[in-house]
Amino acid sequence: MQDRKADIVLSVGTDMKFLPLVLSFTESSSRIFGLEDRDALKLTLASEEMFAYLCGMTGEARPVTLTMKNGFYYALLRFAFDNIDFDPRAFNLTANVSPDEEGLGEMGLLIASRSVDRMSIFHDPLEGTGIYLIKEKTYPEVEPWKSEEAPDGEGLSYGPPDVEDLKMFVRSIAGRYDPFVYPQDLRYPGKVVDMVASGEYGVLTATDRKGRMAGGMTWRSTGTSTIECYGPYVFVEKGRQDVGEGLVAALISTVARSEAICLMNRYPTAELPPGYFEKLGTIDFVLKGERRPWDFLFRELKEDPGCRVYAHAGMEDFLKTRYKRHFLAREIVPVKYEGERQNPHSVFGARFQHSQNLVVLSPLWDGADARENLARHIEVLKAEGIANILFRIDLGHGWHARLYPVIEANGFVPSIVIPYQGKADWLFFTLRD
Amino acid sequence: MFDVPLNKLVPEYIKKFEAYIPSRPDPELMRLYKVDHLWRLNNNENPLGPPEGSARVIAEFPPKRASIYPSGDSWYLRVKLAEKFDLDPDQIVFGNGANEAIAFVIKAFCQEGDNIITADKTFAVYEWVAAFSGFEARLVPLKDFGFDDEGMLGRIDERTKILFVCNPNNPTGTYWDEARLRRFLDRVAGRQIVVVDEAYCEFVEADDYPDAMKLLKEYPNLVTFRTFSKMYGLAGLRIGYLAGSRDVVDVIRRTCIVYSVNGLAQEAALAAIGDDDHVVRTRRHVNAEKAYLLEELANLGVETHAGEGCYVMARLPVSDTLVYRQLMAKGVMIRTMTGFRFPNWIRVSIGVHEAMEDFVRGLGETLSDREATL
Ligand SMILES: Cc1ncc(COP(=O)(O)O)c(C=O)c1O
Repeated sequence: MQDRKADIVLSVGTDMKFLPLVLSFTESSSRIFGLEDRDALKLTLASEEMFAYLCGMTGEARPVTLTMKNGFYYALLRFAFDNIDFDPRAFNLTANVSPDEEGLGEMGLLIASRSVDRMSIFHDPLEGTGIYLIKEKTYPEVEPWKSEEAPDGEGLSYGPPDVEDLKMFVRSIAGRYDPFVYPQDLRYPGKVVDMVASGEYGVLTATDRKGRMAGGMTWRSTGTSTIECYGPYVFVEKGRQDVGEGLVAALISTVARSEAICLMNRYPTAELPPGYFEKLGTIDFVLKGERRPWDFLFRELKEDPGCRVYAHAGMEDFLKTRYKRHFLAREIVPVKYEGERQNPHSVFGARFQHSQNLVVLSPLWDGADARENLARHIEVLKAEGIANILFRIDLGHGWHARLYPVIEANGFVPSIVIPYQGKADWLFFTLRD
Repeated sequence: MFDVPLNKLVPEYIKKFEAYIPSRPDPELMRLYKVDHLWRLNNNENPLGPPEGSARVIAEFPPKRASIYPSGDSWYLRVKLAEKFDLDPDQIVFGNGANEAIAFVIKAFCQEGDNIITADKTFAVYEWVAAFSGFEARLVPLKDFGFDDEGMLGRIDERTKILFVCNPNNPTGTYWDEARLRRFLDRVAGRQIVVVDEAYCEFVEADDYPDAMKLLKEYPNLVTFRTFSKMYGLAGLRIGYLAGSRDVVDVIRRTCIVYSVNGLAQEAALAAIGDDDHVVRTRRHVNAEKAYLLEELANLGVETHAGEGCYVMARLPVSDTLVYRQLMAKGVMIRTMTGFRFPNWIRVSIGVHEAMEDFVRGLGETLSDREATL
């Protein structure tokens, strides 16, 4: 498990006189956590952009806490404000920019996002409000491996592999599977070892009677309510569904008593046995210039207690169809905007995942300018070359659902409902072509 | 208003722990799933209800008595049970359900760094209470659906404090016979506490099934759990107990919560003790319905597993959590078994015949409508 005590913390005011302190904090702590020079420098650059930007946005100095976390395969730098007593607009990707002045490329948050692997804007009672930047370590790429003689897959036992077996597992996947059926992280054996050590990822392998590896699966928890799994990857002769089934059953048993409510499979293989997952839908992703349909498979790990969800009339039919198809008991409460007073400014969160050329937008603050603000987000992200833009709302928040006309007017269509991801189900929208 | 600094107040092991979410009340579920009735086949409750004597006590309970504190340590119950099992009343501790007794025992014996040992696929509360309290739960895989004695003995180390054996096991219905339990206790040789959870013992008719109460004299490290929730149909009143040697129970009593068992529960339980008629009628019902259920499930081509106890396991060709939702929409609530580490299995409690019929019909329809699945 990741040692939480290892966090390194710096509390300063948003005042440029602290910039040198912020820079040396970021640089030395990211080196302590194992980033190489080049990566440490990039994160330092991002922290410079971010800090300068926040100083500019907050006007007078406000206390901000920088926390560097050791993720083993990455360093995470978080800028957090306990309370936001200044204009929250600062947290928009599009803030402080007028396209005709500096050009779209001159936004602090955007520049910061370019030199890291993941970036996210958050706003939540436990964590506060802020932004985190993740810079991953650089690892040597996998040397694919395929055994001469495939194991026969008899007398299998399942369990977590040791470090050497873990690397062999990673090399075997590369040796046998198309890169589109496993996450890119799995192209780096050393990274996978660190990912598992961080406690964020799990790996389970099947070993036959003679101690040979017959296959495996990996998973990671994404938030508290969901676990994402990949595979099963099977190294015995083709057509052996039983190995796949053994792996899936062992994986489910491993995570069954965890906090998670849902198990998603984002990279199913041909060896995935029927009957374990339900298909929630398909999203077309653009990866390396190629359009790829991406199936969202899921199963619940717990008994569905049913819940109440908020829906704008425009998305009600979609939701009803999906809930019926998946036998989800949901009480749909209609909501709409009825002329009530609004804050002038909205804020949208943006979660960057550069390896997938993906940004997920979500509402953080409601505001009268939501429609234009969202339009600018899309414009900026497209100019940035992001090919996959999703919009996500939590149907447990009435005001999220009320945003439907804003979302729809910006070219989004409802695409996939994933049960119990937040306060209630999440609804993902994709951009209409 | 103050911001509560939860991040700083909450211990790490609690942050990691997930609160048990019991299912919503029936009327809520019925409203959400749009059904006008709901068969509860998920909690192994007794479809015949409590014994007649208990039913009378409950019906006639004088409301005024609700304002009076009950016996803080279930005095009359302990006296009556001590007589029945030939024990000293001080060898018995009552709890708000056997679940509370699990917490008493773990609290009494475990401290930081200690561990308990049980099976991977058994009643979850031993593992939960241990994890929730910050202790390691070592889980030994079942062998042929039963507790693996050798496997459990092999996991004992100097920090092991308690071994939990569910006999018969919920959910698999397997049990250790007397010889096997004795062998196990002999091997442990008093070094750790051995808990034998006999929540379903009154359902077992086999001659070789051990009665842990009778073994207490020989094994001072043995503790047994019993409950009034299953055979005696008092689950709603929450009452169960543990029994062990005087010395061990004296220690456990230090952690127990006095007055946690309410007066109505105590009186109803008192009236249930010794009602053999009720036990015979319940067994007859369970046996007949179990046979019916197993036959019907076989007709549907579904693999089953059943042993002792008032429940049956069935392995489905689809996700158990999906089938749960589908059956709920038909007014039948079963237990999914992913949480028992049996993915795609369900556990069905024996209910009244009409409920069994509804379940079989509902499952049949569900299996022929598999469009939503992969
Ligand atoms: C094996 C086992 N032990 C203990 C209990 C808890 O019983 P009680 O209702 O007395 O808390 C149950 C209830 O399901 C059980 O199955």
